[in-house]
Amino acid sequence: MMLTKELKKKYAELELQLHPDCKKLLDGWEELKKKYSGETFAFKVRDKTLDIPFTNTSLSGIGIKKIYLPRYSDWGDILKWQLQENVPGEFPYTAGVFPLKREGEDPTRMFAGEGGPERTNKRFHYVSLGQPAIRLSTAFDSVTLYGEDPDHRPDIYGKVGNSGVSIATVDDAKKLYSGFNLCDPKTSVSMTINGPAPIILAFFMNAAIDQECEKYIKEHKISIADSGLPMADLPKYNGPLPEGNNGLGLQLLGLSGSDVLPANVYEKLKAKALASVRGTVQADILKEDQAQNTCIFSTEFSLKLMGDVQEYFIQHAVRNFYSVSISGYHIAEAGANPISQLAFTLSNGFTYVEYYLSRGMKIDDFAPNLSFFFSNGMDPEYSVIGRVARRIWAKAMKNKYKANERSQKLKYHIQTSGRSLHAQEIDFNDIRTTLQALYAIYDNCNSLHTNAYDEAITTPTEESVRRAMAIQLIINRELGTAKNENPNQGSFLIEELTDLVEEAVLTEFKRIAERGGVLGAMERMYQRNKIQEESLHYEHLKHTGEYPIVGVNTFLSKNGSPTIIPEEVIRSTAEEKEFQITALNAFKKRHSEKSAEALNHLQQVAINNENLFAELMETVKHCSLGEITHALFEVGGQYRRSM
Amino acid sequence: MSLPLKNKVRIVTAASLFDGHDAAINIMRRIMQAKGAEVIHLGHNRSAREIVEAAIQEDVQGIAITSYQGGHIEFFKYMYDLLQERHCGHIKIFGGGGGTILPSEIEELQQYGIARIYSPDDGRKMGLEGMIEEVVTQCDFDTTQQSEIENQQLDLNTTNWKEIAQLITLAENGKVVIKSLKSTIPVLGITGTGGAGKSSVTDEIVRRFLKNFPDKTIAVISVDPSKKKTGGALLGDRIRMNSISSPRAYMRSLATRESDRALSKHVQEAVDICRAAHFDFIILESAGVGQSDTSILDYCNVSMYVMTPEYGAATQLEKINMLDYADVIAINKFDKAGALDAFHDVCKQYKRNHLLFETKNEDLPIVGAIASQFNDAGVNHLFELLMKKVKEKTGAEFHVKHTSAKATTSRSQIIPPARVRYLAEIAETIERYDEWADEQSEIARKLYQIDGTITLMDKEK
Repeated sequence: MMLTKELKKKYAELELQLHPDCKKLLDGWEELKKKYSGETFAFKVRDKTLDIPFTNTSLSGIGIKKIYLPRYSDWGDILKWQLQENVPGEFPYTAGVFPLKREGEDPTRMFAGEGGPERTNKRFHYVSLGQPAIRLSTAFDSVTLYGEDPDHRPDIYGKVGNSGVSIATVDDAKKLYSGFNLCDPKTSVSMTINGPAPIILAFFMNAAIDQECEKYIKEHKISIADSGLPMADLPKYNGPLPEGNNGLGLQLLGLSGSDVLPANVYEKLKAKALASVRGTVQADILKEDQAQNTCIFSTEFSLKLMGDVQEYFIQHAVRNFYSVSISGYHIAEAGANPISQLAFTLSNGFTYVEYYLSRGMKIDDFAPNLSFFFSNGMDPEYSVIGRVARRIWAKAMKNKYKANERSQKLKYHIQTSGRSLHAQEIDFNDIRTTLQALYAIYDNCNSLHTNAYDEAITTPTEESVRRAMAIQLIINRELGTAKNENPNQGSFLIEELTDLVEEAVLTEFKRIAERGGVLGAMERMYQRNKIQEESLHYEHLKHTGEYPIVGVNTFLSKNGSPTIIPEEVIRSTAEEKEFQITALNAFKKRHSEKSAEALNHLQQVAINNENLFAELMETVKHCSLGEITHALFEVGGQYRRSM
Repeated sequence: MSLPLKNKVRIVTAASLFDGHDAAINIMRRIMQAKGAEVIHLGHNRSAREIVEAAIQEDVQGIAITSYQGGHIEFFKYMYDLLQERHCGHIKIFGGGGGTILPSEIEELQQYGIARIYSPDDGRKMGLEGMIEEVVTQCDFDTTQQSEIENQQLDLNTTNWKEIAQLITLAENGKVVIKSLKSTIPVLGITGTGGAGKSSVTDEIVRRFLKNFPDKTIAVISVDPSKKKTGGALLGDRIRMNSISSPRAYMRSLATRESDRALSKHVQEAVDICRAAHFDFIILESAGVGQSDTSILDYCNVSMYVMTPEYGAATQLEKINMLDYADVIAINKFDKAGALDAFHDVCKQYKRNHLLFETKNEDLPIVGAIASQFNDAGVNHLFELLMKKVKEKTGAEFHVKHTSAKATTSRSQIIPPARVRYLAEIAETIERYDEWADEQSEIARKLYQIDGTITLMDKEK
């Protein structure tokens, strides 16, 4: 009796030390188990509750639930699990940021970028025909990536429209996305551009706004010709419209809605468009300086531009568009191992957070506009890259930055590793991609791109892209265990790896901190050197065969598995290049009276340290990409290379 | 192992325009250096014209380019055409682009006159070293052989880049002796410790010079050390230069060719050749020097010492000879911690050295600057001060229009100094959370155990 009393006293003492949040978690455990044991799952979306089917039945008749909870009895184990793992959709979001995956939408993007805007537009329509959701991913040619205009100068000319689309003006952007309703919630557009990202983004936003204007003009039967604007020589879509393109976005080619509509109407339509557009612009200048080298402005000026974009997004309620895609992909492609990829990417993310905070923005106003982009390779650490990223982000956001739940949720796109594709035995590449895709899907990625097997040697073909898409579809629709959405939880290996990788990332954070944070470390080329060292380490082991790669350094075929060289590769045609240059010259001519003043005004805004993105939204109506970057070089400084 | 070379081999390396893939060319240029070549590395994203002009000004035998972004046919042919146009067809072009350059295209380019484009198969057959040895060996020729310069009078102007460059080569090779000219053309000597940002400061001075004086010309002679072991050198100053690509500017990189010097033996001749070409202003930039080196003073009218706030204890300043001699002292990277203390310490030392105890700090020729910052007020001030010193010392008048009033005075703070530990704080926050989670779980575990025991005992009751 005495003993029981003693025990109860001890219990009461200990219970006082238990944090109320932890007590709540423990008290709610039985309730939680009940919630996850039904045939359906009550899913809250804003203020509605949906009952979603929770079980898939196999051919043998076994019901596979979407989420399984641990069978622990010990409160210590239960609490630890809730504090470090928890169900998907609950802090620290280790297993995922949403309770369940989205139904009926495979996280598949539609990639295109070749030739001029018309060819890419045609391709976009071809790949998205009949799809319920439009998820366009845009690759730009290297001329555009470096912020220059197409030109006859041979060293520029040869690159126009190759390995990406040539976009030099707002009219090009309008053509590129014509026939897609950019303000429809089912349309989302991603743009892989960094150095000149704010300018291309302003092209895109104007294209979206002018689509809204076009709808209004048609609805109210307003005549553009009556607006008194010069109607001669307006640009046109080159060639017939492809199947699926209804012409939306082409009516105002050469014009802006603000030329045609009364200011108050235009402002209303603009506000509506800005609040509706969905998509992502990569715009991650830190990883460019660390790994990919498409910097054009000085790093500080680039960061200022990014901050201006984010500030504009907050002021104009651009809620469904990611202002940056904080990317580890290119860091990994340059040779970083998965731990460095994750540590550098997250530290870059926190650098943007600190910079935006220092500019007076509020954490919960901008954190939901941040997204992440990782690479998935073969190394064991890749199996937990999403888990560790989500967990670190959530813990830091909640405890360090006091951010709300929405801000704590790290969402990411992931792409299978391009570096792991080899030019020998290229058929084997799909096998690697499949395994990497499985890692990604088991890890509950928010969006996935699977590379085509021939990408190591050439521009992928329709056939190879279809196979790459099939990889995702086969896993999602055929693979039985992928019907479950938390297959990683409860694995001893996965739990161990998660802890080890998290610890390694935090150690790297401290190393970067010792060097003055991300920017201080960059000044000493710390990240760049580390990536190079890790790349050499891999090359060395690949060379000696210690790191086996089937069909490359082991298991060679009878003829030695030679490198495959493509017969020919897809290149832009002379006609396309000429059309782009002609269109650009016509644009410059049409705007010759206004462009100089617009550029001058832009420079003044820079000198006065005002918001440059707000001004760019106007500048792009009259100026080309190259004109704008050159004007900005004079007030913001060019990128200075280093060794 | 370095190759037995008859001539000093000089090669310009770069990645092509709009192409950020610089990993391969960086590996190649290191091997070239190890083989004994002097490499002028331009880095990534370089236009055909920039590369060709650098090659001519530097009087190299070869250009080595990687191109992974397409457009290689046009790019390589254009470089070839530009060289021909400028009568520099002797400069050989080498290239590579992995699998992006098709075999048929390799053939087309080599037919056109490109010395060699290497394919992945060449890489496998010859190895990296084999390819580089071939490049360096093919570049082992005398660029000045066909030149008629030797017998010509020095009738040069600032646009005769090829002739200027080849004369400097001849001087370096001891083939001509240039008599020192009596000249009023001012020479600014820039020296300082390695890593102080001399090249960035130089670039910013050149930019301001070209902008302020639209009819003036400038020559930059920049010295980097040779490696004793291989004889090779990385001449890396051009990579930092954004402003040099102008018809009014000429730049030449020299290797010391003796490893323990901050300057080449032929600096005086190079300066005299530039004077003979009637440049209006000459900048001589030395390799990074130790605390005692003052050799630049023998070659310049006005000297500037570039340092950073990171020199260690104030007593270190007592050992720096240039604090006695430099006309101007620039404390670069002035955004670094302790910059104001450094300024104070350097002023104090300067006053002691020059017995100027009564002078105010602001009146000393000591300027804090941030060369990496665009339109930095410190660099503007530095430029004005330098031009003033030039006038005092040489009489050459360079009147600086007052520089932009909107210059950036302090570092536009990306991360405020008080927040610079953010990553460490995040790591600590997470570690604290993890510890807390462990503690709480332990408490929960004990509660579970006690609860179990009580239940058990209640049952036995």
